[in-house]
Amino acid sequence: MAARVLQQCVRSLARPSLRLCSGTLAVRAVAARTAAPHRPLSFAADSRRTRWLVQSQISSVGVSCRQYGDLPPLSLETIKDRVMYVLKLYDKINPEKLQTSSHFMKDLGLDSLDQVEIIMAMEDEFGFEIPDAEAEKLMTPAEIVQYIADKKDVYE
Amino acid sequence: MAASTRSQVISLYRTMLRESSKFPSYNYRTYAIRRVRDAFRANRKVEDPKAVARLMEEGRQAVSLIQRQVSIGKMYETQKIVVE
Repeated sequence: MAARVLQQCVRSLARPSLRLCSGTLAVRAVAARTAAPHRPLSFAADSRRTRWLVQSQISSVGVSCRQYGDLPPLSLETIKDRVMYVLKLYDKINPEKLQTSSHFMKDLGLDSLDQVEIIMAMEDEFGFEIPDAEAEKLMTPAEIVQYIADKKDVYE
Repeated sequence: MAASTRSQVISLYRTMLRESSKFPSYNYRTYAIRRVRDAFRANRKVEDPKAVARLMEEGRQAVSLIQRQVSIGKMYETQKIVVE
C-alpha cells in the first residue's frame, strides 16, 4: 500500500516534466531507486510506466519534426528541380531537349502564348503572382529560377 | 502601334486565363481555359489591324462575361465532382 502511494507521488512528479527529455532520465533513476525495495509489489506498474515514458519520448520527437503544413525551406536546388519538373510536364516541350539555359522561343520553338502559359504554371506551382512586365522577360528556365529565388529571398 | 497591340494581346490572354481558372465548377473551368487557348491559337496569324481590333473587343467582352459567370457560379456552388 505504502509502495503504491509512493509510486503515485513519483508519477505525479514525473508527469509535468515528461516533455523535457533530459528530465525524464533523472526521474526514471529516482523512480527505479524508490521502486527497488518493493519490487515484488510494484513490478507491473513499473514496467507499464517505463513503456509510457518511452512512448512519450517517441511522441515528443514526432512533435518536434512536425511542420504544420509548412514546406521545407526552399533552396536554389529545389527551386530548379520544381521548375524543371513543371516544364517537363508541359506538353509542347520535348523533355530531352530541355536545358536550364535553353531559350523558350529560340531553342524550344514555343511562341509568346506558350511562354505566358509557362509563367502561369510557375505562379500556380510557387503560389505567387508574377507581374506582366517581369513575366515578359523570363525566357529561360535559369532566369525563372533566379527570379523566384529573388522573390523568395533564397541566396544559396 | 504594333508592339503595343502585341503586349495588349498577351496581357488580354493572361487576364482571360486567370479569370477562367477562377470558375468553381470543374467543367466550366476546363472548358473556359481550353476555349481561350484555342481561340488565341486560331487567330495568331491575324495581321489586319482592323481584324485585330475587332477580336480584341470581342475578347474584352468575353472577359467581362467570364467574370460575370464566375460570380454566378460562386453563388450556386455545388459539391466537387470525382475528377477533382
